[in-house]
Amino acid sequence: MGKYLAMIRMRFLMMLAYRTDYYTGILIYSINIGAYYFLWNAIYGDKSSIEGLSSMQMTTYVAVAWMARAFYFNNIDREIANEIKDGKVAIEMIRPYNYLGMKTMQGLGEGIFRFFFFSIPGMLLVAFIFPIELPHEPATWGIFGISLLFSFIINTQINLLTGITTFFLYNNAGLIRAKRVIIDLFSGLLLPISFYPIWAQEVMKYLPFQGISYVPSMIFTNGYSSGDIGMALLQQLIWVIILIIPIQLLWIVAKKQLIIQGG
Amino acid sequence: MSDAIQVKQLRKEFKSVSSRSGLKGAFRDLLTRNYKIVPAVNDINFTVKKGEMVAYIGENGAGKSTTIKMLTGILEPTAGEITVNGMNPHKEREKFTQTIGVVFGQRSQLWWDIAVQESFRLLKKVYKVSDEQYNDHMEHVIKTLDIGPLLDKPVRKLSLGQRMRCELAAALIHNPPLLFLDEPTIGLDVLVKMKIREFLKEINKKYNTTILLTTHDLGDIEALCERVIMLDEGQIIYDGELQSLKDNWAEEKQVHFQFIEPVELHELQSLPLPFTANWVYDEKHQTYMAMMKEESDHISQLVSAVVSHFKIKDVKIHETSIEEIVRNIYEEGTV
Amino acid sequence: MFYVSMFFQYVSQYMKTRLQYRADFFMEILSDLLNQVVNLVFILVVFGHTQFLSGWSREEIIFIYGFFLIPFALFSSFFNIWDFNDRYIVKGEMDRILTRPIHSLFQVILERIELESLFGVVTGLIIIFYSGASLNLELAWYDPILFVIFAVGGALAYAAIFVAIASIGFWSDAKTSIMPMMYNIGNYGRYPVDIYNKVIRFVLTWVLPFAFVGVYPASYFLRKEEWYAYAFATPVIGLVFFTVSVFIWNQGVKRYRGAGN
Repeated sequence: MGKYLAMIRMRFLMMLAYRTDYYTGILIYSINIGAYYFLWNAIYGDKSSIEGLSSMQMTTYVAVAWMARAFYFNNIDREIANEIKDGKVAIEMIRPYNYLGMKTMQGLGEGIFRFFFFSIPGMLLVAFIFPIELPHEPATWGIFGISLLFSFIINTQINLLTGITTFFLYNNAGLIRAKRVIIDLFSGLLLPISFYPIWAQEVMKYLPFQGISYVPSMIFTNGYSSGDIGMALLQQLIWVIILIIPIQLLWIVAKKQLIIQGG
Repeated sequence: MSDAIQVKQLRKEFKSVSSRSGLKGAFRDLLTRNYKIVPAVNDINFTVKKGEMVAYIGENGAGKSTTIKMLTGILEPTAGEITVNGMNPHKEREKFTQTIGVVFGQRSQLWWDIAVQESFRLLKKVYKVSDEQYNDHMEHVIKTLDIGPLLDKPVRKLSLGQRMRCELAAALIHNPPLLFLDEPTIGLDVLVKMKIREFLKEINKKYNTTILLTTHDLGDIEALCERVIMLDEGQIIYDGELQSLKDNWAEEKQVHFQFIEPVELHELQSLPLPFTANWVYDEKHQTYMAMMKEESDHISQLVSAVVSHFKIKDVKIHETSIEEIVRNIYEEGTV
Repeated sequence: MFYVSMFFQYVSQYMKTRLQYRADFFMEILSDLLNQVVNLVFILVVFGHTQFLSGWSREEIIFIYGFFLIPFALFSSFFNIWDFNDRYIVKGEMDRILTRPIHSLFQVILERIELESLFGVVTGLIIIFYSGASLNLELAWYDPILFVIFAVGGALAYAAIFVAIASIGFWSDAKTSIMPMMYNIGNYGRYPVDIYNKVIRFVLTWVLPFAFVGVYPASYFLRKEEWYAYAFATPVIGLVFFTVSVFIWNQGVKRYRGAGN
């Protein structure tokens, strides 16, 4: 366990060295939030609520969705792809730790850093500029935290999967890009899932993506009834468990591939 | 108009940020920066005649590259006058670059992913070279540099030596009267170096091409240049013949010997020689060094005397490097 | 004339490079396409919940988006200079550029062209024709000409912003994230400016003229007469801003310090 903590710490220090990037990062996210704020205002017009969300809740939703993205988002798929292409992965294999676990911890280190230096100050800044409503109940904050952790795990698992595919498709830069676009759309970052037509919502129920952004954002905006919250969290948990299977399977095949090709 | 390059009181200053120390200093840096003005080239003057081959030398950071970049129009001088091929390089850049060829040893002119001849073809258009001119001139260049077989290979598949020869050919597509070479032989093996030197000599003779090169390799200079301009800390500290520079500042020649059987220092010192050689024992490398003036056949006399008396394992003749010459000049003061 | 022939020379050079990596080429087009689909889906889903966006109908918004894609495709094919600072200043490639007898900006642009982005023109046209048909838009004989002029004007306005920002590299080679920020701000221009507040509207019109890439020129074809003045200003704004940005670039080249010092 100690070595994984050390890896989190390493990443944390690395990120600290690049902290100026974060100030502009916050600005970029605020610009995005701003664009959607005005857009949603125009969409609401003089309607008081759409799909059960008030205009104020919608603004909050957009803000929290983007700031949560700062926490769960990472580039470990690209990192894995590069390490495979450079042949570094063979060296990683002989180290006394689980490669995928290590990558996850690096992602977590990065995420924790961004949570404190990006999401929190960013959220404060955004709350200052736009009319948003923070949850009153301490319990909501707690549940939001748990849900956010799940969303980190699901997103990381999908990244690991995409990264491992490099073993099979030599150049998967396109796949990585496509994955990012799909997650932005289907996770509920751009649009709450409840806004989609019913048939689309049905399809998305069977996909892991809404566990990444929609669930934590809805919890934060008090968009769920209390029964729904439990269901949503359970759904996230189930996806966390299900996704382990393809990762492990692909990883076993990939390791065999690595031995044959020699890295 | 017999001068290819005229430089008068040329100066280039760079502004560099100096950060204050401590946390308090870091915050003050956020508000106001402290700038230091550093002259990279400090009021230099020289001229190069047409058809001359000149070596422009000095240690790293002496201002060589900065001068070359001003002469080629890349940088604008802070002060002073430059006339190259009768033009102001920076002001008339687009017209001017038509008349020069440039090779940067560490930077490629060629397109990485496609065949060499495709790069040549594009550069031919860039420099508006007609088909006749191109065929007439480049056929010869390609033959002399022996790059014919490389032309249909992508640049990324070439070795460094092969690439350098192609770079050189690429710089000559428009047959410029003036050629700038920045470390053209860096990292190359001896054979390639020799081929490049031969080639440069030939085009100098054939087209009266003026060549200005920077190098760390004394061999390049000896093979090509009669004249050397030496730069240090932005100022010219020597401008003249290579031979007199070496005569005055090259250290004595050093010949290193290793023997099969143990030899005493006094035995060596008592060898019969018509000149004086100082013998020193180098404990670290277990070698004996003879130091003496480099004159006529002294080295061969020394070696034959040693060989006839002792069994030797190894002989090395130490070549004085440019860095050592610069150091010597420094140790002994002004030129 | 020389510059026109050089343009085609570089394009053919680019094609040869690209043909070596065909898979990348298609992936690039595909992921651009995916991006465009996502943006369309967004518009479609939103209009499942409202009839009008500040008085603009769904088809009109889609038309604006379709129009936006065309100057944007022109821009991304020919002004792919977002990494100029890194590639040319920090790594010193600018040295090489400056030893050749062609204008430096022209060379940089040609070396970085990415023609696969031109596919966006096709998507844009399809979207425009589809939405235009459902809006029953009428075409005058000169409209195609105006269309080309407006598209080029919009692309120039877009390019001007990025050329000006790339020029900052000549003064300071510090790493900045201004480039990605501009791409994000550029997205503001895809929607009618009347949904934003006054300050943003002013910025998008006169400071960072992204509105001239999408809404303003598109509103002419949508026959929104209240915006005609802005629509017809598109080529002027494009030319003026681009000229200024080239001027800034030229000033920057004088300040170029070279790499590795």
